[in-house]
Amino acid sequence: MFRCVLTAAALVLFAGSPVVHAQKQTIGAPPEASNMKLVGTNDLQARSAYQPTIHHQGDRWIAYIGHHGGTDNVPAPVNPMTGNAEPNGTSIVDVTDPAHPKYLRHLPGQEGKYESGGAQMVRVCDGRTLPKGDPNAVYMLRTFGSEAHEIWNVADPANPALITRIGGLKDTHKSWWECDTGIAFLVSGAPDWRTRRMTQIYDLSDPAHPQKIRDFGLPGQEPGSTGAVPTELHGPISTGPAGNRVYFGYGTNKGGILQIVDREKLLTGAKEPTPDNLRFPEISRLPMSAFNGAHTTFPMLDMPIAEFAEDKDGKTRDIVMIVDEAILNECGEARQMVWFADVTTETRPMMISSYTVPEASGQFCQRGGRFGSHSSNESMAPVYYRKMAFIAFFNAGVRALDIRDPYRPKEVGYFIPAITSATDKRCIPVEGGERCKVAIQTNNVETDERGYIYIVDRANTGLHILELTGAARAAAGLPKN
Amino acid sequence: MRRAVAIALAAVALGASAVGAYRLVPSPAASPAHWREIAWPFPRDGWPAGRAFRCEGGACDGAELYVRAKRGFCNCDSGVADDDEVDRVADIDLIAPRFAAMAPGEAVALGRMRGRARRYDLARSGGVSQGAIGIAISRRCDLFVAAAQGTGDASAMQHAALAFLDTQEMKTWATAALDGY
Repeated sequence: MFRCVLTAAALVLFAGSPVVHAQKQTIGAPPEASNMKLVGTNDLQARSAYQPTIHHQGDRWIAYIGHHGGTDNVPAPVNPMTGNAEPNGTSIVDVTDPAHPKYLRHLPGQEGKYESGGAQMVRVCDGRTLPKGDPNAVYMLRTFGSEAHEIWNVADPANPALITRIGGLKDTHKSWWECDTGIAFLVSGAPDWRTRRMTQIYDLSDPAHPQKIRDFGLPGQEPGSTGAVPTELHGPISTGPAGNRVYFGYGTNKGGILQIVDREKLLTGAKEPTPDNLRFPEISRLPMSAFNGAHTTFPMLDMPIAEFAEDKDGKTRDIVMIVDEAILNECGEARQMVWFADVTTETRPMMISSYTVPEASGQFCQRGGRFGSHSSNESMAPVYYRKMAFIAFFNAGVRALDIRDPYRPKEVGYFIPAITSATDKRCIPVEGGERCKVAIQTNNVETDERGYIYIVDRANTGLHILELTGAARAAAGLPKN
Repeated sequence: MRRAVAIALAAVALGASAVGAYRLVPSPAASPAHWREIAWPFPRDGWPAGRAFRCEGGACDGAELYVRAKRGFCNCDSGVADDDEVDRVADIDLIAPRFAAMAPGEAVALGRMRGRARRYDLARSGGVSQGAIGIAISRRCDLFVAAAQGTGDASAMQHAALAFLDTQEMKTWATAALDGY
């Protein structure tokens, strides 16, 4: 009897311990946070979210948020503003007052579930910065599921108007648009290419009249080629005419490649997709381990490195932060994480450091859903650029990294939102069926010029707007709040 | 005359028995194929190693078959939609980096899993060409792939490989591999 009492007492104590609490999120529990604070939230109509882009539009701040397709249980959630079931598309939210985000409009996307539908990607440029844009217009470039890219005029963000559509594709993904030139690197699936995702380069300086420049990819992906097909594209980031480089990330969670490309040669070189023409603008490649992919390749050039300040050469370094994407639930794959590459000597890029959330700090492999990195903020606004990076880490929330010394990146804050009744389950196969858990799945993150941090959830928990506090705020050089 | 008849009868009988003896020795094509497990022959890559087999007897005699699960595949709804997908995922590149498809692929099924199979010509060193089969089938967001190579008839090799993959033992293993065990 005494043994039974002891056992029961131990079970009660164990059930109340922080370890167990850390393994399972519960509705109503507070968020887990360090040096980051919740400012405001919006449920995004319980739609699975991908890219947020925050745009300063007149005296307003507008968040444009791309969505994946719906789920098996809810393929087209009801939009409470219209009362209609709408395939997931783009959420447009006024975040001028970040404590009280105001949902303005849901713009439906392609029908289809998960990655087969929705409108995942979104970029925004002002008409007045595009060389041939309507100065009164604000243009939103978005994907339309797997079949098209679209440009909308969102000058009135509550009432977008379709401008143009580039269709006939077999896939789309994480495109890049230079607002000062209008050159767009559209991640597309051209029907005749052997890969699901490659680059279609367009001149979108006049968004109403897109001009195709060329198709681009790795030799072996082009039409008519044979043999092994190189890893598919995930997304490019351009430094524009001034930097004259485009950093392409290939791979998701396997066989990643960072490709450094001469932008001018890319835009003006011979356009026929022959192996030689595809190789011509390439400066170098950094092949990664077969265990890791390159979801985001974020350049941070000419960084002064304090440790090297007294050295005769190499005081500043060109760095590319590479973020892998975790795909499998409950740690069913090699760890996907963050890598820093020194590309100062461009033809010999080298990995110099890495970062991951310590799994044991939250028993994240047991929490459910994906654990590992997915993406970083991509804003180059001075508030955080080359100082602080924010990494979406699925069930480990968002992580704030002090990257002033990229040879020694250091976590200085984190925020894991609480789950809600809208948070969708994530399942893994077990013998004879499935076992499901509910956990936050912080998917993407972006920042604005004011320093607010926007994270969105893949498991339908919505948008959380955050700010830095304490030591993280000091590291970023922000005034005390 | 009687002697001649006896010799003729003996010759016919011996001939018949020789034919019988010839028929008793099974030809490689007529005997049932047996797939004997061998060591996985490839260096580690992004996916865990699978299982490898060599065909003994039958029409696939000498062919090798490599099978494994690839968990995590973005085309959860559309599955293996086209031949390009087979080119990309079916592990033919493990056998040889240079290969060319011989013809459009065809739809195949293993149990409830659907996908495609395609035949290839492998460019080997010394200019010797060899046939190969790539098979890719999907279960939700995961893939099960097989690649076979051999010098025999490609059609017979594909038939034998699919028949082997359709055995209960292999279906059980494929399910476990796709479940992550």
